[in-house]
Amino acid sequence: MDTTIVDARYGFIAGIIQESVKKPKIDKITRSDIIDRIVTHKYLGIPIFLFIMWLTFQITFTLGAPLKDGIDSGFSFLASAVSTYLGDGILSSLIVDGIIGGVGSIATFIPTIFLLFLILSILEDSGYLARAAFVMDKFMHKLVGLHGKSFIPMILGFGCCVPGIMATRTLENEKDRILTMLIVPFMSCSARLPIYVLFVGAFFSAFQGWIIFSLYLLGIVVAILVAFILKNTLFKGMSAPFVMELPPYRLPTVKGALIHMWERGYIFLKKMGTVILVFSILIWILSSLPMGVEYASQESITGQMGTVISPVFEPLGFGNWQSSVALIFGFFAKEVVVSTFGTLYGVGDGDALVTALHTTFTPLSGYAFMVFALLYIPCVATFIAIRRETNSWRWPLFSAVGSLIIAWVAAFLVFQGGTLLGFA
Amino acid sequence: MIEILSELTQGQTGKIIALNGEGGLKKHLMEMGFVKGAEVKMGRVAPLGDPVEIKIKGYSISLRKEEAQNIEIEIL
Repeated sequence: MDTTIVDARYGFIAGIIQESVKKPKIDKITRSDIIDRIVTHKYLGIPIFLFIMWLTFQITFTLGAPLKDGIDSGFSFLASAVSTYLGDGILSSLIVDGIIGGVGSIATFIPTIFLLFLILSILEDSGYLARAAFVMDKFMHKLVGLHGKSFIPMILGFGCCVPGIMATRTLENEKDRILTMLIVPFMSCSARLPIYVLFVGAFFSAFQGWIIFSLYLLGIVVAILVAFILKNTLFKGMSAPFVMELPPYRLPTVKGALIHMWERGYIFLKKMGTVILVFSILIWILSSLPMGVEYASQESITGQMGTVISPVFEPLGFGNWQSSVALIFGFFAKEVVVSTFGTLYGVGDGDALVTALHTTFTPLSGYAFMVFALLYIPCVATFIAIRRETNSWRWPLFSAVGSLIIAWVAAFLVFQGGTLLGFA
Repeated sequence: MIEILSELTQGQTGKIIALNGEGGLKKHLMEMGFVKGAEVKMGRVAPLGDPVEIKIKGYSISLRKEEAQNIEIEIL
């Protein structure tokens, strides 16, 4: 029935075209053909794809860093201004430690994230992202059982997993879509970078780039492994056909790219702003109770929670209560792990924090901690995004529990394996 | 000569004579313009050998070979 209608429509269209359009007989080679000849080239296609991805992150982080420092010092200035003005007290602590500390640590990522979205919008508007899916589909399809279009949410996940989760909307098949949502959180988002920067600076100054690269790679490998396992168990079955238009290349307009960037970035700003503000205040309250304890000390509620949980992390090499507290708070936003360490050791960021870390971590347990922090749980914002996109609590909970187990096992293997091999 | 679309080599053109395959895919393909009588041209092949680019009705679409197998064509 449906196909009859389609047939009739195209028949009608063909009739009109025959009556009214004159077409030149020879196909001329378009600009798009020439570009495609290079970017989907048999041997050059994949290296070009990898190069473009590398360039994207290079530009994002190089240009983003100074802007980030600017916002950072802006918030520090604000914090010191507020504490001078209000003096010592509960209100001052709430605003400075709770709100400015919590929201400020997220705000520093705004330039990086907007830059990444801008570049991805340009790639998308130009038509290249469709070619990336075209080039990578066989790899994704045959090896992992995913759809070529799953690649785009995964790439976005490097910036922030929330827009990555949203981008799964382009996948038509429900199973493909949920599976992609479950693996996007393993992509090392920009919020995890501060954790690496802190630990790598403290313990691996000689091999900084390689250590960070190894963590990004680990995230990808875990994502692919998880996809492979789920595809052969829970998500058995055919994936959607790869019927995708390859649009002609166009020069993206400034306006179009900015609109796309804003649409994605705004979601980040709005959801993160509200969620993180609420949780920053909550964390502050839990760290200030019971009355009279020193803020975020071992006697506070959060300190006690950390102390109770910490034995779980003993086999992973970081059974101290500070790590546990940092990881609990990291659920709200992963970069909060860093600021929590700062608060708990009572030293703020910077060199003093590095010295403090040396008292509780070895290079091996530091690496195990980074592995755990990379994999352990989707942050609250991602969790909520999965909840909203699947319209059920089942998948976000599945994702949270699953990744906690995976992270524990991975960090256990790193720490115990490393110990056996004689690293410390 | 009757062939299936996935067997064409780059640059070859053909005319669609039949569409096989299950309902959802068939409908999707038809909606994208793969109807009887339509002219198709084999475009580029992805670096890993799959999917392929098909030119139809003046635009380009990417299909996996397993999907292109459902399309019977007459080589022009």
